[in-house]
Amino acid sequence: MEELSQILADVRRGMIPANVYNDADIFQLEKEHIFERSWIFLAHESEIPEPGDYVVRRILEDSFIVVRDESGEVRVLFNMCLHRGMQICRAEMGNASHFRCSYHGWSYRNDGKLVGLPFHAEAYGGEDGFSKSGQTLLPAPSVDTYNGLIFANLDPNAQPLRTFIGEFAYYLDFYTKQSDDGMEVRGPQRWRVKSNWKIGAENAAGDSYHTPQTHRSVVEIGLFREPTGSKRKTGALYWCEKGGGTTYKMPPGSFRERLRYVGYSDPMIDRIETSWTPEQKRLISDDGFMISAATLFPSFSLVHNWPKIDANADDDSVVPFITMRVWQPISPTETEVVSWFMVDKNATEEFKEASYKGYLMCFGSTGMFEQDDVENWVSITTLAGGSMAKRLLLNSRMGLTSADKPLNAPVADFHGPGTAYIGYGEFNQRALLREWADCIERPLEQVEQMAMGKKIFKADARSSEG
Amino acid sequence: MAISKTDTIGMRSLAFGDPRHQAAFQFLVDESYLLDAQLYDEWIETLTNDISYNVPVRVTTARSAGFDTSPGMAHFDDDKYSLSLRVARFATEHAWTEDPPSRLRHFVTNVRTFATENEDELFVQSAVLLFRSRGDNREPNLVSALREDLLRYEGDSLKLARRLVILDESVIRMQNMAIFL
Repeated sequence: MEELSQILADVRRGMIPANVYNDADIFQLEKEHIFERSWIFLAHESEIPEPGDYVVRRILEDSFIVVRDESGEVRVLFNMCLHRGMQICRAEMGNASHFRCSYHGWSYRNDGKLVGLPFHAEAYGGEDGFSKSGQTLLPAPSVDTYNGLIFANLDPNAQPLRTFIGEFAYYLDFYTKQSDDGMEVRGPQRWRVKSNWKIGAENAAGDSYHTPQTHRSVVEIGLFREPTGSKRKTGALYWCEKGGGTTYKMPPGSFRERLRYVGYSDPMIDRIETSWTPEQKRLISDDGFMISAATLFPSFSLVHNWPKIDANADDDSVVPFITMRVWQPISPTETEVVSWFMVDKNATEEFKEASYKGYLMCFGSTGMFEQDDVENWVSITTLAGGSMAKRLLLNSRMGLTSADKPLNAPVADFHGPGTAYIGYGEFNQRALLREWADCIERPLEQVEQMAMGKKIFKADARSSEG
Repeated sequence: MAISKTDTIGMRSLAFGDPRHQAAFQFLVDESYLLDAQLYDEWIETLTNDISYNVPVRVTTARSAGFDTSPGMAHFDDDKYSLSLRVARFATEHAWTEDPPSRLRHFVTNVRTFATENEDELFVQSAVLLFRSRGDNREPNLVSALREDLLRYEGDSLKLARRLVILDESVIRMQNMAIFL
């Protein structure tokens, strides 16, 4: 596909054919090459604390029951009856010891095991005609967790999640490991935007340049003191293996003072201090950077902000919040945003409420930051569907000279892994889309056919079916 | 399934000819005009200082589950200050999502008014359908919901003291909720 190789080459040099944000053929490639073999975030363990607790989540069109079974193990089960393909669980969340198909009544334990089959003897001659022992709902091909984050991968041969996250874990911990007892989440909010999924992922990965313009209004109303042009350009942008993000430069101070500056209380800082490694703490204490937004390839983004949410508070009083979201592709032109609020499980109820309120005011379906982002992204996506968009290469080369050299040298002595630059630049958007290009270029491997919960034959040996 | 958080079973709604119902109905219709016209400064004036404005995330659950909103997560969970900030933002020149503005129409119907133990307060249920059109040729969006309001007399005028919006969809099908219901 000559045209594709040109598109990938353009993307790799930071010149983005605009139609990649609205193209049915590219979307089909993304489904097969990216979403069917990448680690996709599904749920947080705190959403399903008790045996039988479940939530239903999707990867593309595939629905999965994410359930804690009676032994406490988290299972991710393909939500399709082994018999006629009916959706087994039609609720979004709840608690169940068993799931029973509404079509013919096959029933499954919450670890997926098939336990009930009406008229087994009459219809199948019992175990002889259909052996139900050992049959289970299809488990997601690969499942793994990190800091309570449950990911699944449709590729049974996927590299381990921890290997995939790699050194980006250094940064992921800032959001998802603020105490040794872990985090808890609320949500998600879900809403659908007529925007290509990549635009939000790129934005969170590294677009500090949009903040002063897109989010000017939230500074004007006093919701957030930071995102002015002068403050954003002093932050560091980092990229590390499969993920990257933005930071703000903090005023002078110690580790503790800088966390206080963004609203953490001393007991929370005490817990953070024991949870993070010395190297992680140096990003704040020595380098002076506070993490802000980030994206882990392909579609998992996180935000850490510290708005002013209380009319009666003095000018410097802010409260931090954390949100994570999945940009779930629906079509080339539509994305379901699935957005959670996250907080240290051990925080006081008062802090949790204030932080949650900060999230609602800033991000999510009603957030005053996010409202303006989406307006832009919808507009881009719509225009990207035309014929002129195929001729326009969007310039995503900020921070590079014509000779492909960085405008400024990487930050020396940066304590985080990967490469970091101070100032505006589209380093991370390019890195994310390079991952995208590499993933699209990597050939597909054959997926093994599954039936009745067991591999019965290889896809290339179908003729032997008897 | 009962979705009302206030149990109205056994409570009789006021007769449509009752002046209290008529006052409540008129409040909602007048309010719809303010929201359609995006006269938000005027709208804020119709809220009590202790307003609680809550729009929980709706979830699909089994009939036996006993809940159908997300535990702990809402779209709006606002007080007067946060609502005022949202309104102040629309008044800046940089709230891009509403510039150009949406064309909005709040259709309000199925209004039922109930007397409460407090003479100064009325409990009002209404159905609202919001039509929102943005740009010249985008598909418009609809949001349908039940609203449960507590209206309180302050002097001669009714004000909104509490609003619970029970959305009829789990996944919101519009780009954001830069609107009020």
